[in-house]
Amino acid sequence: MADGHSFNNISLGGRGGTNPGQLKVHSGGVLWKKQGGGKAVELDKSDISGLTWMKVPRSNQLAVRTKDGLKYKFTGFRDQDVISLTNFFQNTCGLTTEEKQLSVSGKNWGEVDLNGNMLSFNVGQKQAFEISLADVSQTQLQGKTDVILEFHVDDTTGANEKDSLMEISFHIPTNNTQFVGDENRP
Amino acid sequence: GDGRSSSRTSNDLIAYKNINDVPPPRDLMIQVDQRNEAILIPLYGSMVPFHVATVKTVSSQADTSRNCYIRIIFNVPGTPFSSHDPNALKNQTDIFLKEVSFRSKDPRHISEIVQQIKTLRRNVVSRESERAERAS
Repeated sequence: MADGHSFNNISLGGRGGTNPGQLKVHSGGVLWKKQGGGKAVELDKSDISGLTWMKVPRSNQLAVRTKDGLKYKFTGFRDQDVISLTNFFQNTCGLTTEEKQLSVSGKNWGEVDLNGNMLSFNVGQKQAFEISLADVSQTQLQGKTDVILEFHVDDTTGANEKDSLMEISFHIPTNNTQFVGDENRP
Repeated sequence: GDGRSSSRTSNDLIAYKNINDVPPPRDLMIQVDQRNEAILIPLYGSMVPFHVATVKTVSSQADTSRNCYIRIIFNVPGTPFSSHDPNALKNQTDIFLKEVSFRSKDPRHISEIVQQIKTLRRNVVSRESERAERAS
């Protein structure tokens, strides 16, 4: 299309794994369509509250945050795509992109950051992983220090991963003051 | 293979130095990378690495409807684990990932993974405690 950029082999990541598809970035926003039809994601630029690039193994990932707190993660961009899209977002859509780094050190301690629906686990300023609290079916407090998150079991959304996350728990030391007294904490 | 195993000290067990060293995802299932002593866990479409030294225990369980479950428990402060682990003192306010539990469609894969993690963990722990002994 004349107005914008189109990319094949861009996968949308989510709870059930990843789905391949095609992503179009145009002056009005972002459109992703699943390969072979079915699911589509259409985001108007006025609904977008943030754009973040992250280098991932052998690829680049674009995270699109919306004003209603959702986040879509598209993977499959080459380094040169990052440059051209960053310019396009800036010049045509008036949207600024940020950069985030991925932690691959393999450590299991760090910080937890809550932003909209997303819980991000960060190791030394770098993001190790992110989970969506919208998929959490139940939370439990165990003792004074442990928080358990249980996930919905969903077999209907075309999940393509073989091993599915059921439960994750965090140990929050009593001298961590970040979440003290917050009743809404997951 | 740059001789790092002899130059590394036990308090900086790092799974990967570079993002592109992480192996490509294989069917978004739990993987063990023997060479880098890492376990890769599929979380939201990404393979998230953890060094095997962060693992405390791993176990599996099957239910009646051909489902299989794997539970990986990580080291956290305040529980008795390998004495050479330096994290308990160094990172007192840090939040720890304590446990992940997965359901799998492939029981054979899960029993293989459990064995691989147990063996790798045992080897790394014994190597590290030997090194700690030599150093003291």
